[in-house]
Amino acid sequence: MPTDIKMRAEIRRYDPSVDAEPHYETFEVAGQDNWRVLDVIRSIYERQAGDLAYQFACRVGRCGTCAVKVNGVPVLACQERCKPEMKIEPLTPFPVLRDLVVDRSEIEARYEQHAYAPQRKTEYAGGPEPIDPLLAEDLCHKGSCLACMVCVSGCPAVEERAFDGPAFMLKLRHMAEHPADSGNRLEQAIDAGMLECFGCDLCTQLCPADLSPAQAIRDFRRDMIFGGSKKHE
Amino acid sequence: MTAKTEVFTEHVDVLIAGSGAAGMRAAIAAHDAGAKVVLLAKGPRRANHTRMSGGRYNAVSGFNPADSTDAFFRDTVDSGVGINNYPLTRILADEAMDRAYDLESYGLAWDRTEIKKYYMSMTGGGTFVRTLGSIDEGIGITEVMLHQLHKRGIRICDFHMLADVVQDDSGRVTGGLALDLSKGAWRYFSAGAVVIATGGTSQLYETSSGPAINTGDGIAIALRAGAELVDIEFMQFIPISFVYPPSARGYTLIEPAHYGMRHFDPKAEPAHLLNTKGERFVLKHDPVRREGSTRDILARAIMLEILEGRGTPEGGVLMHPDPQVFDAFLKERPIYIKRLLENYGEGHARLQEPIQVTPSALYTLGGVRIDPWCRCNVPGLLVSGEAAGGVHGANRLGGSSMPDIQVFGRRAGIAAAEDAREYAGGGAAQLDKARARAAALEACMQRNDGVRPPDIKKRIQKLMWDHVGLVRSGAKLTETLAAFRSLREHVLPTVKVTNKSRVLNREWMEFLELENLLDIGEAMAASSLQRPETRGAHYRTDFPALDSNWTANLIVRRHAGQLQVEKKAVVTLEKAVPAREKIAGAIA
Repeated sequence: MPTDIKMRAEIRRYDPSVDAEPHYETFEVAGQDNWRVLDVIRSIYERQAGDLAYQFACRVGRCGTCAVKVNGVPVLACQERCKPEMKIEPLTPFPVLRDLVVDRSEIEARYEQHAYAPQRKTEYAGGPEPIDPLLAEDLCHKGSCLACMVCVSGCPAVEERAFDGPAFMLKLRHMAEHPADSGNRLEQAIDAGMLECFGCDLCTQLCPADLSPAQAIRDFRRDMIFGGSKKHE
Repeated sequence: MTAKTEVFTEHVDVLIAGSGAAGMRAAIAAHDAGAKVVLLAKGPRRANHTRMSGGRYNAVSGFNPADSTDAFFRDTVDSGVGINNYPLTRILADEAMDRAYDLESYGLAWDRTEIKKYYMSMTGGGTFVRTLGSIDEGIGITEVMLHQLHKRGIRICDFHMLADVVQDDSGRVTGGLALDLSKGAWRYFSAGAVVIATGGTSQLYETSSGPAINTGDGIAIALRAGAELVDIEFMQFIPISFVYPPSARGYTLIEPAHYGMRHFDPKAEPAHLLNTKGERFVLKHDPVRREGSTRDILARAIMLEILEGRGTPEGGVLMHPDPQVFDAFLKERPIYIKRLLENYGEGHARLQEPIQVTPSALYTLGGVRIDPWCRCNVPGLLVSGEAAGGVHGANRLGGSSMPDIQVFGRRAGIAAAEDAREYAGGGAAQLDKARARAAALEACMQRNDGVRPPDIKKRIQKLMWDHVGLVRSGAKLTETLAAFRSLREHVLPTVKVTNKSRVLNREWMEFLELENLLDIGEAMAASSLQRPETRGAHYRTDFPALDSNWTANLIVRRHAGQLQVEKKAVVTLEKAVPAREKIAGAIA
């Protein structure tokens, strides 16, 4: 059975259209130990701060739109368990719309620029398209990337160097492995800064969908050394 | 204030509201038919109901030789208890597989058993093995579609909530008024056609499975514009969902069929449902199909156990899964195993311990009354997906919403592009009307006393859950209608928004939602009251039996501010009035 607990949440407040500087506001919240960070944020909005800006939709780790930093670590608010002391901040390094909500315009522009639809040499000939069942499974795992930007936010290479970030590499690898795609995804990955990756594996540890962008990068690097993935030979 | 309300304006051919699959598929089809399209997403584009779906997809692929589109049609009408719009159901059965191939062409990898053979399973209610799926579920479906929109350069406006459509004096829709929530700015998109694909109304209920933004906006907007609703008394409840933690309460666990060998074989056992006295209570309700029964019967059976005091303290019953299916389940639906692990524990995730479950509002079966090309009685307005009604009748088969939103999303897009081509009006002629509506929706921002929107939303959700949910009665429905009237007359005009920022003002958004929730809640209660029988998802304690005189549809419209409910004969295949079919030749 869940037990009652008291929590202290320090939330970063900032309205770029009005405020010169961000500031932090502290809220005392009475909740239960099985609450998620999202439950805490919703409780603050409902009972204490009607002007709090925050984002969520699915509340079950699927839409990927509620990502925030809790005590410095990027997480999905709906999946992260609450803690007695929490500092809740918007996801970095993205521009803030207000309080905990970031502007994803640049992120979406990047998705568009990477052209993640299969680039077909010949028109789709009707189904089932020949795909090995195990490969289909692997494609689906990569297809379940939430685009939540948790891995991009946590990536030390993104912070220091010109690198789009792990999530974008994972999706490029998704297409590289798709039998219908003829794009040169390895080249795209290199252009997007893949070689700047330190190989620290933090993205894999942070991924709320249990995916491994780091493995996608390792696979690309292997292709680079051994002459590209099979279908481009 | 009126004079100051600034409304930015622009013209598009087709304006689409909704970033789920129905909206995205309409956008793809309208764009491919030559239209300039803008798609409005109420939140970030990935915040939609399709993404939350298990992605199971009913279609006749040819891999089960015993199955046929006739059988799929019959299963759908049987599940819908005979009041489906037959021509729409026929289209669903006939076109579902072609749209599944479309998704494959977009890059989706359906699960396979061999290189050129799809993996298939069953959902509750169906009689044949026909359901396709992919491990990435609704996430995979929405991602591949989104990349198709990107590929076409279709503009997506995030954080744009459709507030209302605007009409000329003849009633023809001339565009949509949207609030850009990220800036607090109004935009009027004058358009040759508007497609409503805003999804359902699950947020009308205390416990619900859908995303927080599904407040029935588009259905209410259509109703206000003069559109007719059909079957709006039918709300589908998923029989089993998470009981805790609070954020996950109501999130679907799908059906007991999947937690037993029934998942693979129509004759095998589904997972058993037991009350706290250890009784397998479903046998009282459906001794033949047992826990493999349709969603309506299972959800009601569970709810009655809870209401009659045989539920757990947290408000659930216990599902005893068959651990034999664990390996297949983990392979097929790893996302659900992960959620079971996080929310409940390892024994539950391994399907070795009883799983606490409760019913939850899932899918709005009724909606705007459409023709086969998604047009409604309001010229220039088209509706597809969960916001439309008629395809599923009184209950929906598991796995049938995914093909529905693809099939009718595409049809809406094709027809909207055609309507836009034919439309000679346009421009900013109706800007004054848009501006006046925007000004009216600003009023709550100026008020300093009153009730906050989330408090009223909770009242509506409780009334709907208690009286217009799984268990209904004439007395309680009448009481609820009176309560809604009182909320509308006395409380709504006193709503205050404490937040004074225009940027991402959640209270303001919830204020806009309140009118939509009330409009649809009222329509649901009124039509539920007018159906004196029990059928599919609609259960009346005072009329607990099916009445063959009510194999009919209820149509709801609004006239001079009053709701009218009218009984109409079911549209069967013979009685179908041909829709405007001249676009048939243009279909790729």
